[in-house]
Amino acid sequence: MNTDLFGLQVNVWADAALRLQLIVVFMTVVVMGLIWAERRILGRFQQRIGPQKTGPFGLLQSLADAVKLVGKEDLRPKNADPWTFELAPFLVFIPIFMGFVIVPFLVGWNIKVLELGLLYFVAISSVNIVGWVMAGWGSDNRYAMIGGLRAAAQSISYELPLVLSLLSVAMVAGTLNLDEIVRQQGSVPYIVWQPMAFAIFFIAALAELNRAPFDIPVGESEVVGGPFVEYSGIRWSMFMLAEYAGLLIMAVVGASVFLGGYAWPLGEELGLGWQVVLVGAKASLIIFAVFWIRASLPRLRIDQLMGYSWKILLPLVLVQILVNGLVLVYGWSEAILGVVGLAGVVALVSITGRAANRPRQIPARAAALKGEAA
Amino acid sequence: MTTEETTQPVADFSGTIWAEVDRALSGVTVRPERGLIDVIAHIPRDEVVTALRRLKTDAALHFDYLRSLTAIDREADGIEVVYHLYSTDKKHNLTVKTTLPTTDLNVPTATTVWRAANWLERETAEMFGIQFTGHPDPRTLLMPEDMTDVHPLLKSHPLAEIEVLQGEGMGYPEEGA
Amino acid sequence: MVTERAREFDTQDLLINVGPQHPSTHGVFRMVLEIDGELVKDVIPYIGYLHRGAEKLCETMDYRQGIGFMDRTEYLAAFNAELSYVMAVEALAGLEVPERAQWIRMILCELNRISSHFMFMGAFGVDTGVMGTPFIYGWREREGIIDLFEEISGDRMMYAYFRPGGLAWDVTTNFKARVREVLKSITQGIKDFDGLFTENEIFVARTKGVGYISAEDAIDYGMSGPSLRASGVPMDVRQDEPYLKYAEIDFKVITGEHGDVFDRYYCRLQELRESVKIIEQCLAKMPDTGPIMPEKMPRMLRTPPGEVYIRTEAPRGEYGVYLVSNGGNRPYRLKVRSACLSNLQALKQMSVGQYVADAILVLGSIDIVLSEVDR
Repeated sequence: MNTDLFGLQVNVWADAALRLQLIVVFMTVVVMGLIWAERRILGRFQQRIGPQKTGPFGLLQSLADAVKLVGKEDLRPKNADPWTFELAPFLVFIPIFMGFVIVPFLVGWNIKVLELGLLYFVAISSVNIVGWVMAGWGSDNRYAMIGGLRAAAQSISYELPLVLSLLSVAMVAGTLNLDEIVRQQGSVPYIVWQPMAFAIFFIAALAELNRAPFDIPVGESEVVGGPFVEYSGIRWSMFMLAEYAGLLIMAVVGASVFLGGYAWPLGEELGLGWQVVLVGAKASLIIFAVFWIRASLPRLRIDQLMGYSWKILLPLVLVQILVNGLVLVYGWSEAILGVVGLAGVVALVSITGRAANRPRQIPARAAALKGEAA
Repeated sequence: MTTEETTQPVADFSGTIWAEVDRALSGVTVRPERGLIDVIAHIPRDEVVTALRRLKTDAALHFDYLRSLTAIDREADGIEVVYHLYSTDKKHNLTVKTTLPTTDLNVPTATTVWRAANWLERETAEMFGIQFTGHPDPRTLLMPEDMTDVHPLLKSHPLAEIEVLQGEGMGYPEEGA
Repeated sequence: MVTERAREFDTQDLLINVGPQHPSTHGVFRMVLEIDGELVKDVIPYIGYLHRGAEKLCETMDYRQGIGFMDRTEYLAAFNAELSYVMAVEALAGLEVPERAQWIRMILCELNRISSHFMFMGAFGVDTGVMGTPFIYGWREREGIIDLFEEISGDRMMYAYFRPGGLAWDVTTNFKARVREVLKSITQGIKDFDGLFTENEIFVARTKGVGYISAEDAIDYGMSGPSLRASGVPMDVRQDEPYLKYAEIDFKVITGEHGDVFDRYYCRLQELRESVKIIEQCLAKMPDTGPIMPEKMPRMLRTPPGEVYIRTEAPRGEYGVYLVSNGGNRPYRLKVRSACLSNLQALKQMSVGQYVADAILVLGSIDIVLSEVDR
């Protein structure tokens, strides 16, 4: 069976292998660029310069880091479970990598166009939590275990809002095929009709990626790196790679589903170069927001994190889905969706603000514990 | 009662809180001394905790704050345990002292009066070898857990070589023991 | 009520060791947390890793040599530490400090309080989980102050600039202009922190209602400084027993109401503003010329036998120096009353029943300096 590659007829398997190679190289380069960009951007936020000595503008800093990490000794604690400990980085890394299969970077440039692309993405991107828990459990370290369990709790809680927010777009689009979703946004991106879904997707994505302010599993000031506390060298760098690759994939999916990917605002008939610029710009916007938040917000506490997901995000996204259903069934104008969505964003912001400014109280259970200890 | 009492010159306590303290501590043997800033009350060790509690609960004095608790090694004259008290609402100070003979270094704990005394007593205990009887948590505080036989702040504790040298370089015959 | 069935689900408590190499223990402090899930059930603090025996060492040192040791007990506010010590020596020796030296001492101590509080803001920001930004903000302001200190004393942290009787040497001629310059940048820095923390929803959610301690408990544990005032006790040595020229200065003692982590942070932020006010008044009242040391100083300082307990308000609370002399040129006994030690005692009371992440915040909020705790 042959397929079309740059106008050449090549074997399907050869084609897939070639594309995979491209993705691996592309991902590694982009991730190194992202790490450099984050350090430079954080540097600007913090009134310092950031990496500058390695190459022009410190561009080769990530490369230097990579060389250093590869050269480091690969340590394993004596009492760690060898299999769990050593397999964990792969289990974190591979699902993220597999997620790239369906990402619509450009027209016809995903490795495989899946009819259930969105479902596949959601399913595969949540598998890596197994790796986190394995890393936490296998390290024979209590910090790591707390971190691993926190990661599991957090991932399970935020999986739902993430999936439902993507689903609300899929409802309106009538398909789970990512390319199809992008193509439908030639004139108007879905963020206009589904602003609340985008807000919730962004928040949930931050939590899924364990980025600030939801970096509770790795919280450096509490659990000192969480599941990764015992890792060093190449294994630790795989976690790092997975983290930034996850950020990249989440940004590209967000850009495709909500911001019109390569299609909006210039249509999909454009040349490849323009499409690259468009997708890159949209994804960069999301990634920049993630860095910006990291530079300015403190970390939430685990109970606040869980409460936020189950008590605020989930009900709101369910309301969005309900409204979507009503609009679709009764054939109402799409404008209703936009208005409801905007109202939802306002509600989300005000509820979040009120939740943060609740009057002071000592939780009953904590008070009971205080009594015990006194 | 210490034997020094008779040799103590009569001091002027006007303008101090001594009258109040004397009233609150009626029935307790107490010998006042006028310090540079605060009044110093010398109390025998058997009565010191009773006195401290009374100073804390007395409505007019209300010494609810323990500023500091420490000891001074007076070598042959024993070890003085010093309590610095303060009242957060009445804003006055008092220093309470009790002298322990070197042969019998123990004094009832003040943790029952102020919880602040806990760590301060632990530190004093390990530094001077004083036993605070009834202390709820008699572990070492600053010193290693197994170093319970070394009491660095006693004058008999040897200095390191460098410290001895430093002392010699600037020694003056009239000072010290 | 605990039934048999519920008891089957009882979990084992986990002991985790925090420190002495943990990033959030602010030095070499170690505590063992007993946790049930994410809740802290017990805290066992261990201190003493930085014990250098400064008190014993000072007994072998001349009064002037002791100043250096006091710097090193409280390295983030060394001027305040020196002040207590030299004031104790002055009280024993009966030295009268010239007026100008007193004003300069006040300005430097208040500036040191500001630099120390900025350090707290930065470190506390990192404890709450912001990646470095507040730290650098705090560092920036502190750097300006430290540069000024360096111009005056010749050192950035261990000044040894106050001497019994006055100051080591006069300040630079552009002192007042330089202080005003620094104050301007500080005022902006305070605003920055107000925006970064006080108006930040997540920061507020994390700190309000956490690590509560009542006024009675705080007094009973001997807490002092902003950590005590946050519980609503207006105890400030500067106001209650004015030293230097504080009696001539108009300033407010900042108190909180709730005694939680947020109030401990907010008290410090407001204290920064008060300190700026104090310094401005000092600058207006300070004479431009005049002696900085008494006319006649003995070559070797000796004190008559006696004892004195001098307390001053350092950034972290009451810094007391108990000096006993038997009539020599060195202390017979020197005891440093550390505010941090007493504040740290209340750690258990504040953190039990809180989440693990909050225990870190509570520790950060009392702003300990381990070298002062251990001495």
